[in-house]
Amino acid sequence: MKKYLLLLLLLIQPLFASAMEGIAQPPQDRRISLQVFNPERDVAYTIGELVPRTVVLEAKKPLTLLNTSLPIPGYERRWRGQVTGIELRTITHSQSLGTDSTTYILNLSYQIFTTGVTAKAAFLPAETIKFTDGKNIITYRIPEWGFRVSPIALFGSVKLEDDMSKYRGPLLLNPAPQKHHLKILLGIFGISLLGLLYILGMNTWLPRMGGPFARAYRDLRKLPDTPQGLQQAVERLHKALNLTAGTSVFSADNFITSKPAFAGLKGDIDQFFSLSRSVFFEPGAASGLQQPQQWLKRFCVSCRNYERGMK
Amino acid sequence: MDKQLTDWREQATLLEKEINQVVVGQQKPVRLITTAIFARGHVLLEGDVGVGKTTLLRAFTRGIGGGYERVEGTIDLMPTDLVYHTYLGEDGRPHVDAGPLLRSGENLAVFFFNEINRARPQVHSLLLRVMAERTLSAFNAEHRFPHMMVFADRNQVEKEETFEIPSAARDRFMMEIPIVVPSEADIMESLMFDTRYHDADKLVENVKPDILHFDKLNKIAAILQDEIQASPTLRQYALNLWRASKEPAKFGVSVEGIDVNRLVLAGASPRGMSMMLRAARVNAWLNGRGAILPEDIHAVYHETIAHRLVFSPVYEMRRTEIARELLGNTLQAIAAP
Repeated sequence: MKKYLLLLLLLIQPLFASAMEGIAQPPQDRRISLQVFNPERDVAYTIGELVPRTVVLEAKKPLTLLNTSLPIPGYERRWRGQVTGIELRTITHSQSLGTDSTTYILNLSYQIFTTGVTAKAAFLPAETIKFTDGKNIITYRIPEWGFRVSPIALFGSVKLEDDMSKYRGPLLLNPAPQKHHLKILLGIFGISLLGLLYILGMNTWLPRMGGPFARAYRDLRKLPDTPQGLQQAVERLHKALNLTAGTSVFSADNFITSKPAFAGLKGDIDQFFSLSRSVFFEPGAASGLQQPQQWLKRFCVSCRNYERGMK
Repeated sequence: MDKQLTDWREQATLLEKEINQVVVGQQKPVRLITTAIFARGHVLLEGDVGVGKTTLLRAFTRGIGGGYERVEGTIDLMPTDLVYHTYLGEDGRPHVDAGPLLRSGENLAVFFFNEINRARPQVHSLLLRVMAERTLSAFNAEHRFPHMMVFADRNQVEKEETFEIPSAARDRFMMEIPIVVPSEADIMESLMFDTRYHDADKLVENVKPDILHFDKLNKIAAILQDEIQASPTLRQYALNLWRASKEPAKFGVSVEGIDVNRLVLAGASPRGMSMMLRAARVNAWLNGRGAILPEDIHAVYHETIAHRLVFSPVYEMRRTEIARELLGNTLQAIAAP
């Protein structure tokens, strides 16, 4: 219930605020236009700090500013009987004459002489200045500007959650642990991605691209052109044939019986088995090949094409 | 040496050709028996009644030459019946003559034991020694049979009045060769209608006698065993096959509907594997090669190993069928290289 009331109060608060401002603001002379340049920062001012403010007033002729109405530096300001602790330290002004108006630039510099155990609201006071058109005196109000004064040091514990000040920025959580976790997770994600790419690369990117002969060909390309390399190449191709047939294969007929799609390669498969015999079982037997490893690569590519259905 | 081996191979091919003319549709058993002859191993034939086992063996006997003895396995056959027999002579006095084993002396080339499983275990026991050592002690003397090969056959279907051949006796045989009826229609028809197949004795006489010289077989067998090479890859392959016969599950061998971990009580014996390699060498030689290939092992693997495996008793009744699947799957599971 309390929460709902608070929410309701927050929702209607701007209406009250504008109503109060409307009441507080006296009617201003339309012949005078005002521009105020306040500091961009409106929080975290500490005792001793200077707060500059520039006021630009453009008054239609024959209005002229009464210099005697300008605020006096060092004048003690009170609000509701209490010293505000905000004092005007310096004031400079200049004027420039236009064809039908005069522009006045006031440079005000206030110094802060107040502080508290928590951040608290403070105001650069509203200043009242006067113009004359020769006959009448016109009062013009420069509005106050609210900001926040913070203590230099905190004493004791402060429950910030209770401070609902509109001047306070959002309470920021420390993101360091989450950032650390994020980095670790990104690292794991990156490694997983690489692993996945590796697995896909080893097996298949597209259908029929990761078959036994495709993998065998990748291995064959890495083998050296030596007798040991030849043995490994023949062994690797035996493995591919066995994997394709799903059983140990010992002859071309044997292989083609289980995989009739390879019938077009019968001659090459026969040649492969005769090479295998000369490499592994009967060293004296001639395989009839000049460059067996080059031939094995070509044979493997042919098998890979059959494996992919590219006859 | 090469010429000698080539000459003998031609004679072996001639023998096969002669036998195949007499016993039709049995090319594979004929090749296996030829292999056993040159590997100097004993042969056990297994098959149904009347498929031509006896004719096949008689034809081979004629081709090999040398002394030939035959004995019929019967339930009342005693070991002594193989060694001698006694009778009353015309002079009215008892006489002792040499039995089938001793009759041909050292020239005994083929000892044909028909229906071996009808004989008693005592007879099997005597045969064990004769097969393993090719010697026999009788009449205070040791008789040697250096050229003898035992051919035996058995009928697996008929179980009455038969004795199971113990595994130790089976292990003495180099091969157990199944003989099945040819399935080709023309061969079946000629076996029925061709009159030359009606008289087995006359049929066997068509085989040219003494194609091989029985007393030189041991020598040529030793030469070809020395000459035919086995590469390291093949040795490793044979070793894997041996291990797989003992622990098939470890090599990924399975048999449908059977727990292979409980199936095999004993795999192939060292003698069995040695006989398998001897037969494989002969097969390589018969095919004109100087080294053994895996195919040479495959050609004799089932026939040299199946009868040596000892299965759990619960599977023994389906022995033939299980052994065929087990060994077939073993060859499919083990690669070379």
